[in-house]
Amino acid sequence: MLRLALKMLFGDTGKYLMLVAGLVFATFLMAQQAAVFCGLMSWTTATLKNVPAPIWVVEEKVEQVNETNPLLDTDVARVRSVDSVAWAAPLYSGIQRVKLANGNFKMIQLIGIDATTLAGAPVNLKEGRLEDLRLPHAVIIDDLGVKRLASEKGKPVKVGDFFELNDQEARVVGIADAMQSFTGGPYVWTTYERAMQYTPAQRKMLSAVIAAPKPGVSDEQAVADIERQTGLRAYLNRGFGDSEKDFNTTTVWWYVKNTGIPISFGITVVVGFVVGMAISCQTFYTFVMEHMKHLGALKAMGASNGTLCMMLITQAFTVGLVGYGIGLFLTGGFAHAALQNKQPPFYMPMVVPFAVLGVILFICAVSALIGIWRVSRLEPAMVFRG
Amino acid sequence: MKFVPVIIRYGTFALAIAGVFSMTSVMQIIHGQETKIPPPPGKPHGRVYESEVGATGILEALGDNVAIGVPVPGLVSEVKVKVSQKVKKDAPLLILDDRELRATLLRQKAAILVSEAKLEVSRAQLGKAQDMLDRLKAVTDQRAISQDDLKNRASDVAVAKAELSAADAQLQSAKADVQQTELLIERLTVRAPRDGTILQVNIRAGEYASIQNKQAALILGDLDSFQVRVDVDEQNAKRIQGKPAATAFLKSDPQTPYELEFDRIEPFVIPKVSLTGASTERVDTRVLQVIYRLKRPDQTPLYVGQQVDVLIQDEKDLSP
Repeated sequence: MLRLALKMLFGDTGKYLMLVAGLVFATFLMAQQAAVFCGLMSWTTATLKNVPAPIWVVEEKVEQVNETNPLLDTDVARVRSVDSVAWAAPLYSGIQRVKLANGNFKMIQLIGIDATTLAGAPVNLKEGRLEDLRLPHAVIIDDLGVKRLASEKGKPVKVGDFFELNDQEARVVGIADAMQSFTGGPYVWTTYERAMQYTPAQRKMLSAVIAAPKPGVSDEQAVADIERQTGLRAYLNRGFGDSEKDFNTTTVWWYVKNTGIPISFGITVVVGFVVGMAISCQTFYTFVMEHMKHLGALKAMGASNGTLCMMLITQAFTVGLVGYGIGLFLTGGFAHAALQNKQPPFYMPMVVPFAVLGVILFICAVSALIGIWRVSRLEPAMVFRG
Repeated sequence: MKFVPVIIRYGTFALAIAGVFSMTSVMQIIHGQETKIPPPPGKPHGRVYESEVGATGILEALGDNVAIGVPVPGLVSEVKVKVSQKVKKDAPLLILDDRELRATLLRQKAAILVSEAKLEVSRAQLGKAQDMLDRLKAVTDQRAISQDDLKNRASDVAVAKAELSAADAQLQSAKADVQQTELLIERLTVRAPRDGTILQVNIRAGEYASIQNKQAALILGDLDSFQVRVDVDEQNAKRIQGKPAATAFLKSDPQTPYELEFDRIEPFVIPKVSLTGASTERVDTRVLQVIYRLKRPDQTPLYVGQQVDVLIQDEKDLSP
């Protein structure tokens, strides 16, 4: 009987493709938009990914990493004085302007790290040596900066090239593989002391203190101790989650609450859902209506309502799974291209494909339900009337 | 022709399965990008005490560095020492131009001769007056001489005596003048106030040494042992109690600990001068300064002025 249902489904290739296309469209729209949204949100926490440290200590009222309120220089020593802290290092993070040889200027995200331990230095260095950062005027740029800071198009920045940072010379000694920032400026690492020279003087300059707990103490315990003993705000750096104490989480939520980004992406996802639902239901309904004659005949031959339901459900879910798969295929293609170019942002959390599958199956279920509603009210005698 | 629908049917199946695989690979790529947080490239110094206060400090020569000054402004004629030369107490360090005083000395020495001559004259005059008086007194019959004359002669002797002592006093005064000038000349040689090593020479022969110069002419210090001036944030000041033990790490070398010996706590809390790289003081926190002694280690060279990270032992956990 189920084979008959599939035969019925594939019988009209045009109709079949039409049914699948609606769900492909819905899957692609939902999965891709959700992933781009997550990617964009993960860009907001790029500084946290590019400056590897398990604990970030910031001023008491700071909610997100891109908007910090500077601390006093001695706060590094105060964090170091907390018993559960193994080490603490100063960090400068701020947006500065770079002047290129051709007179162009570009925004960059300047990161100043402790010169002794180089805590907060990029993890993946593609070229150059990290130790060279201690040389005079040395900076490390990221792979975006290689293109963005080039003075001529097609001539990427190499190790040893110079540019101007607030009227002072900066020499590239390394190129790192880093995550792109939300503001679009490339990351430029230098030592904390040199960052102070590059940056116009302010009364307080220390953006954050990065730290790690001593062995045997959990990150959470250290964060609680730092907050209790210094009165500063300490955050974990684990990654987006449900923890209020994670800087990634609070940063992403800050953007969700304070910008229109989630609404614009959310609307697209909802449109994907609604359009997918509408097309799918409508096409499936038409499909059922067209095959009403055959279903009627089956009913007349003694097939129960249950059997007919099973047939319709099989058809709907087959279409759903195929559509979902093809939708994933398109999303995957998009993802490969996006990850290759690092543009546009793309981050697919594990939950998204499964959630989309759930939504697609829901659409199929609703479509099948409409069909079932028609079929159950079908009088077998109708076949003979027509 | 049923060929095309079959292709399409199985094609869609294949595409769907490929989609699932494609998404799996995307997930793998994305999760492959998530790296664990590595420890810092340079190993930071670990903890030393169970509970400790972190602070920054600067190496100084023991007993504070002496900024050698000059007694009077003047031209430097000779600098007797070089940088890092060891000097004993009272060794001459630099000599100021003393020609003006020596010119005065010449005149004053001549004045001694004049005074001596005057003294001789007075002495001769006294002898003469005495002789005249003696002659009168030698006359046996007092009636042969006028009493008036006798009195006059006696007065002459008294005057001559007074003149002699005046001349003597003048000679002493002239000698004192010479001594004074000699002392003043001696003062123009600046001497070491104590044993030590010359850390800095900021003046050269021919330059004008003035009291108003911002830089001290010479800096003298004791390099055999150092002292570490530790800045403790005022918020942590209450955790410094008694004579806490401390360990220092050079800023450039976080792996070699240096044991410190408690010296004293400066009782006056001062505004922090940024030791952490900036050229200007710009932070409105105040710091408690604690002074520790540090023996000069044998192997590693240490230099006055180097920055250190200091960990000070704290007896009890600070819980508000």
